[in-house]
Amino acid sequence: MSELIRLDGVTKRYDNAAAPAVADVSLAMYPGEAVAIMGPSGSGKSTLLNLIAAMDRPTSGAIWVGDDRVDMLSETAAARFRRRQVGMIFQFFNLLDDMTVIDNVLLPAQLAKARASVARKRASELLDVLRISHRRDAYPARLSGGERQRVAIARALMNKPAVLLADEPTGAVDTAAGEEIGALLLELNAAGQTLILVTHSPDLAARYSRRVIAIADGRIASDTPLRGAGR
Amino acid sequence: MSAVFSAARSAVKGGGAVGGRKLQAVIIAVVLLASTATSVIALGLLVNAHGPFDRAFAQRSGADVTAAVDTSVATRSQIAATTRLAGVTAAAGPYLGVLATARVTVPGVPGSSSDSLRLVGRSSPDGPVDDLTMDEGHWPANDGQIVMARGAAVFTGSTVTVGSNQLTVVGIAESVTGTADGWVLPAEVAALTGRANPAQAQMLYRFANAGSTSAITADIAELRAALPRGALLNNPASYLSVRQSEESIIAPWVPFIVAFGLIALVISVLIVVNVVSGAVTAGTARIGVLKSIGFTPEQVVASYVLLVAMPALAGCAVGAVAGNVLAEPVLNANAHIYQVGALGVPLWVDIAVPLAALALTVIGAVPSALRAGRMSAVQAIASGRAPRSSHGYIAHRMLARIDSLPRAVTLGLADPFARPARTMMTLVAILFGAAAVTFGAGLAISLDRVVADNPNTALPVTVSLNRVGQGQSSLSLGQQHSVVSALAAEPGTLHYLTETDGNVSLPGLSESASVTAYGGGNPAWSGYTLISGRWYSGSPGAAEVDVNTPFLTDTGTSVGSAYTFGSGGHRVTVRIVGQVFAPGQNPSAYMSAATLAATEHGATEPQEFDVAVRPGISPSAYANTVSGVLGSSYQASLSGGSRTLNAVLALIAMLTILIMVVAGLGVLNTVALQIRERAHDIGVFKSIGMTPRQTLAMIVCSVTFIGFVAGIAAIPAGVYVHHGVVPVMAHAANSGYPASLVSVYATWQLVLLALAGLVIAVAGALGPAGWAASTRTVFALRAE
Repeated sequence: MSELIRLDGVTKRYDNAAAPAVADVSLAMYPGEAVAIMGPSGSGKSTLLNLIAAMDRPTSGAIWVGDDRVDMLSETAAARFRRRQVGMIFQFFNLLDDMTVIDNVLLPAQLAKARASVARKRASELLDVLRISHRRDAYPARLSGGERQRVAIARALMNKPAVLLADEPTGAVDTAAGEEIGALLLELNAAGQTLILVTHSPDLAARYSRRVIAIADGRIASDTPLRGAGR
Repeated sequence: MSAVFSAARSAVKGGGAVGGRKLQAVIIAVVLLASTATSVIALGLLVNAHGPFDRAFAQRSGADVTAAVDTSVATRSQIAATTRLAGVTAAAGPYLGVLATARVTVPGVPGSSSDSLRLVGRSSPDGPVDDLTMDEGHWPANDGQIVMARGAAVFTGSTVTVGSNQLTVVGIAESVTGTADGWVLPAEVAALTGRANPAQAQMLYRFANAGSTSAITADIAELRAALPRGALLNNPASYLSVRQSEESIIAPWVPFIVAFGLIALVISVLIVVNVVSGAVTAGTARIGVLKSIGFTPEQVVASYVLLVAMPALAGCAVGAVAGNVLAEPVLNANAHIYQVGALGVPLWVDIAVPLAALALTVIGAVPSALRAGRMSAVQAIASGRAPRSSHGYIAHRMLARIDSLPRAVTLGLADPFARPARTMMTLVAILFGAAAVTFGAGLAISLDRVVADNPNTALPVTVSLNRVGQGQSSLSLGQQHSVVSALAAEPGTLHYLTETDGNVSLPGLSESASVTAYGGGNPAWSGYTLISGRWYSGSPGAAEVDVNTPFLTDTGTSVGSAYTFGSGGHRVTVRIVGQVFAPGQNPSAYMSAATLAATEHGATEPQEFDVAVRPGISPSAYANTVSGVLGSSYQASLSGGSRTLNAVLALIAMLTILIMVVAGLGVLNTVALQIRERAHDIGVFKSIGMTPRQTLAMIVCSVTFIGFVAGIAAIPAGVYVHHGVVPVMAHAANSGYPASLVSVYATWQLVLLALAGLVIAVAGALGPAGWAASTRTVFALRAE
């Protein structure tokens, strides 16, 4: 099977004097995988996720996602790449307060200039699948943490991305909602969605992924396939 | 207080990014600089327009009214009785004088010139009224000596010949209200008078109540009533006319500069209010921290006021200096008029204007600073960032439904609804900026028409005799035939007029009127626009004239009036049939050659041919061709242009651009605040695929609607200001105005001008929008 994501000797420094946030990381991920990137705070796992999403640029090394060499993309090309290839889920949801649920979900498709009718149909389907369609006209401030994250997942899936990147997706919700979000992500992965999950919790990594990459001080400490994840 | 100062200073130094307080400080400083400079120019000119004349008038006991009395009608005792009238506070005279045609010879200058002079007999330059200032030389000590008024093209040693009497110029003096062209000893007057030029008595009065035209009119009516009927020759001269005439060079500049200054000040205050309000909104957490470490509400208020006051003070100080530098050329022109040495912006203006601008700024900042002071520490720290109001949600919702517009555009269009107060202030700032553009453009068109409605433009080529250094000479009949033949043979000739220039005395007034007589065609070809009435009829015996506004004002006549010209002892009554738009200090009359001949009591040959060329023909090339045909005895030259008006046009352009920049800075400030507050949202947009171009479009669109609305609203506002200021300028220039000077806006021009608001908005937004568009997604996402 050909790689979906490949990193070759990727290093990211924010300050030349300080230690790199990501140091000489090389790895490969495959379509349909559910990979957890695990490590303590400040280990470089979120930086790694940002580099894969082309939201930041490495100091050195090469990053491939599909056929795109993402570290070489211009800002415009990177934005188009994110629309097409990446769905992002954040710990604090990052929903837009002044837009309703449906408008938040529709936004990636609208920015990608998708046909309005097609986009609305897709958004409705996603809200149904994620069991949030009854709140489609609510504003984010009126939603619970779990509901907000389900809206964020719907928004991330709107353009049918090749890979779903989740940065501590259960970090800002209560336990029950966390379980629910985790289960949703597993369902999506089971349906073929490639998933990269960043977490500092070994338990979460073990339950919701099939491969765990441990990061420490910006370097890969271990890369371990799991069996029976989420089961 | 040092803690407050330190907090304010660190706040200014703190933000380097777009929306940071460093940028806001720069914006405050620049807008205050621009508005202070404009206001200093405006007030400096305003003060100097009146100051020098009033000062000189008071110091030299200038005459409120200068009257000429016919001594054959009023007796000496009747004249003396007028000095005891109730309203008269001081009087001088009667000084016997004479209106005489004189030949003036200046040593070293070949030939002599002929002029009509009002000569007055006075035993000394001093007096209770109209205390003369000796510029050079001395007062006449013997017969045969004369002191000439300042401004005459003579100097000591020149000779003035009246009839067979030769007078030597022994001094130059100035009368603040120009009561005479020259002064001789009283005994000399008898020798200068004759049947053709009888003596008149000049009376100079100061009145208790002379502050307005109506008061002066009442004073003159009192004089007229006290004298026998017909004794008071025409309308006595009022110092107000002289003052208005003296000021007419600088005064027209003042109204539009004042208008620009006020617009700049209003925009500045709006921007400052926006800056401080934005700083408070964006700095909520900082306010909380300041309070938690012991800042009292008063100290928080003081720190926010200082945040604005420090850059504002710098802007005001530099603005005052800039205002002085920019006002200097205009004031120098004024100083030259009054010959009062150097004129400068008064010190009190340099102090008062920056202080007023600073005070307005601080007052504008106080409400927002008070809001910061009232905020509780817990609330401020807990929120961590500006509490987002729920304004604009409906707009977002509705605009999201418009599928025909790109989503980035609808996102931007919804933005102004999130902060209605800030949007309104930005809208008003753009409105004022765009109104200044409409006003400035209209003013430029009006002044362009002043240039166009001028003989120099309508008749750009002048053909006359080539007599270098010998003054202008009349063309003989044979010479006129030669010129006519040459012009007729030249295909570029459109039409031409003959022109004869001269002066005629205005009985009862110290000044004379310049006369232009056109012949050989339609006087409307002269290029002058009529304010009212019609052009004179050239038919023999019509005795009709057109005059400019100073003529009507100074002589107290109106269109339709009959008026008697005097030249020497010769009097001719003409009818005024039209008012010509010819701004200037002096009265002018326009008549046919036949009427001039009657007025001058003799034949008057033209001095030049004024020629209009066909469209597409270069006046310069035409003049060269005609010169070649006529030979070296003649000269065909281009009529002069107007450097003053070009300077005014440049000033208008500069002030308009300055105000556009200030309004643009207001937009920049608003957009910068918006980006600062929405930095995180912009990061989210980018993370889900918004391209830099879409980001740019979104941010620019957030002000385009405001700019569009402001641009539309600015049209009536700008037109209103233009329609208000142009008549004031014309009045200050001692002139009426034709309707064409006010109705200047074509529909297509208004449509274009309506886009000014949009241009200001987009130009102001592009900088910060470009910065936000190019910001890396991760950086934007981390921003709070």
